[in-house]
Amino acid sequence: MADAAAPRLVTRRTFLGWWMAVILTSLTAAGVLPILVYLWPAPPKGQKKGPVSITLDKPITQLNDGEAVKFNAPTNPNTAFIMADGGGDNAPGDLAFGGFAVKNAGKVDVLAINCSHLGCSVALNDAAKTFDCPCHGSRFHLDGTVLHGPAAYPLSHLTWKQGDNPSTIQVDGIVLGF
Amino acid sequence: MAIPHPRDIQLAAVRWLDERYPFTKAIDEAMYQRVPNFANAFYYCFGGMVFVIIVLQLVTGILLAIYYVPDARGNPAAAYNSVLFIQNTVYLGWLIRGVHFWGANILIFMVLLHMARVYWTGSYRAPRELNWIVGAIMLLLILAFALTGYLLPWDTKAYFATEVTIKIAGSPPPPQLGAFIKTILQGGPVVGPSTLQIFFTAHVFLLPALIVLLMYVHFKFIRAHGIAEPL
Amino acid sequence: MSDPQGTDDVLKEGPGAAVAEPKEVQIIELDGHVGHTLEPEWKRLPIGPDNILYPVIVGIALFPLLMGDAGHHLADDMPDEDTHPFFPDHFWPYPVIIIVMMITLGLLAAFVQKNLQLEAPADPRAVTIPRPDWYFLFLFQFIKLGPELVMSVVIPTVIIIVFLVWPFIDAIAGPRVAKRLGWKRWPVPGRNVMSGTGFVVFLLIIAVLEVWALAGPGFCLPWLTGPVCGA
Repeated sequence: MADAAAPRLVTRRTFLGWWMAVILTSLTAAGVLPILVYLWPAPPKGQKKGPVSITLDKPITQLNDGEAVKFNAPTNPNTAFIMADGGGDNAPGDLAFGGFAVKNAGKVDVLAINCSHLGCSVALNDAAKTFDCPCHGSRFHLDGTVLHGPAAYPLSHLTWKQGDNPSTIQVDGIVLGF
Repeated sequence: MAIPHPRDIQLAAVRWLDERYPFTKAIDEAMYQRVPNFANAFYYCFGGMVFVIIVLQLVTGILLAIYYVPDARGNPAAAYNSVLFIQNTVYLGWLIRGVHFWGANILIFMVLLHMARVYWTGSYRAPRELNWIVGAIMLLLILAFALTGYLLPWDTKAYFATEVTIKIAGSPPPPQLGAFIKTILQGGPVVGPSTLQIFFTAHVFLLPALIVLLMYVHFKFIRAHGIAEPL
Repeated sequence: MSDPQGTDDVLKEGPGAAVAEPKEVQIIELDGHVGHTLEPEWKRLPIGPDNILYPVIVGIALFPLLMGDAGHHLADDMPDEDTHPFFPDHFWPYPVIIIVMMITLGLLAAFVQKNLQLEAPADPRAVTIPRPDWYFLFLFQFIKLGPELVMSVVIPTVIIIVFLVWPFIDAIAGPRVAKRLGWKRWPVPGRNVMSGTGFVVFLLIIAVLEVWALAGPGFCLPWLTGPVCGA
């Protein structure tokens, strides 16, 4: 009768309730976790990193100061360039499908084509010697630094070296496998 | 043996059903309940119009899915070619795709009108707060429909619009979180075939299931609350 | 009326049993709910469960039937002259709306095919200006007006959250504001100088952004960060 007067803190009922709650929660977690892992993309077959040989429209040695030449990543096999640095929406390791080789104050830069704002392809403005983004109006100097917002970070560089003949360069890239 | 009158057969069937569930009573309640006269104003029917268009979108969407191929490999991709096939070769394909396209536009417009009316007349007030939240979530779902559906034709416009969208979705700090969201959404390092597959799955399986479920909840709430008092 | 058990023969025996009472069927009551004030029997359509057209009525009522039981509504307490029955008085515009809607969409699909023609197949190397559809265009323009993270993530997220929990903000903050201003009560937005005006201003801002974007890349307006052009 003492039990009825002073109810116990943990009855069989509450213990079973908690036990069920723990079991159901861990079952849910055990079900959801594999799904999250499943959603994480696996690299497609045939993905391969390495230098990509690009033939420029105009050899780097013949570029005048303040001149830029645009190039695209090869389509067969489908390849993209790997950014060496970046800020805003470009991060080191992000991919680009095109770029510019620019000669500026005697120094040659190879820049990725993607605007650091939201990744649109910038276009060379020959008259003003700037890169202009058509999407949200950002503008960059030829060395990639910001001239006008909304972009807050410079354009990304690509890692490159001179190729076998004067008009080719070797740019770090990745074969996408699709 | 006399042949029973068809009316008696029907009556027997109705009684058989009524013994299992009160169908007659439910129909009476649905058909002959009284509605306040103020609910006759034209701006009270925007919600009904949204419902009609969603049903139309489900039907035309199923029809489009019969011919659409969610494969973005190659250039031009099979996805692009299948949309061209629907548009130019399938009988009345242009009509079905046109109705789906314009239905989507008018749907968003009608949803905004409906929400504006609900806001203006204060119909979100107690006890209808939860129904406002359900409705607001449905608006976000419909925008997600528009976003995912925009990529499916796999043309240039769709590709770059999606790239910008994913860039925006992947920009919340810290960078690891942004990169995680981006990778999950595009299913790889760039917008490519896996992105189309993911958007297709969302547009065709996930979002319709969610919106039908939420529509049911929305109507259930309306049935419980009745029509809100006017301004 | 006959019944499925065939007890008519038994009841026909004896004097005064010519009109057989139908067997009492147990109807399942839902939660003991008493239901709405319904139309009196004599005012309803003369289409009962024994009528050949009854399946049509069931078809029309199928949707509300699936919705099940409903609560006690405002209309149930209103005088008869201020209410009208759902069917057919309240229902008749909907078939008209459905027909008008389908005709409109069909005509749009038939005569405005331009908007749904495909561009070139997606090519990540193409250089284009991605311009979103009209329902995201104001957001596209808004992003140009400030630093990226604030404009594309922080402000939209805050607006969406405010929009989701708006009924609670309105219910908690509204009466306090009203008290401070010496108002007797906090009216609905349609009659409220503050929440009503705020809504109109919000819509105006969106309209201005939309028109600004639609005006095209040649149309530039001065802004804090320098001139900003349309899309």
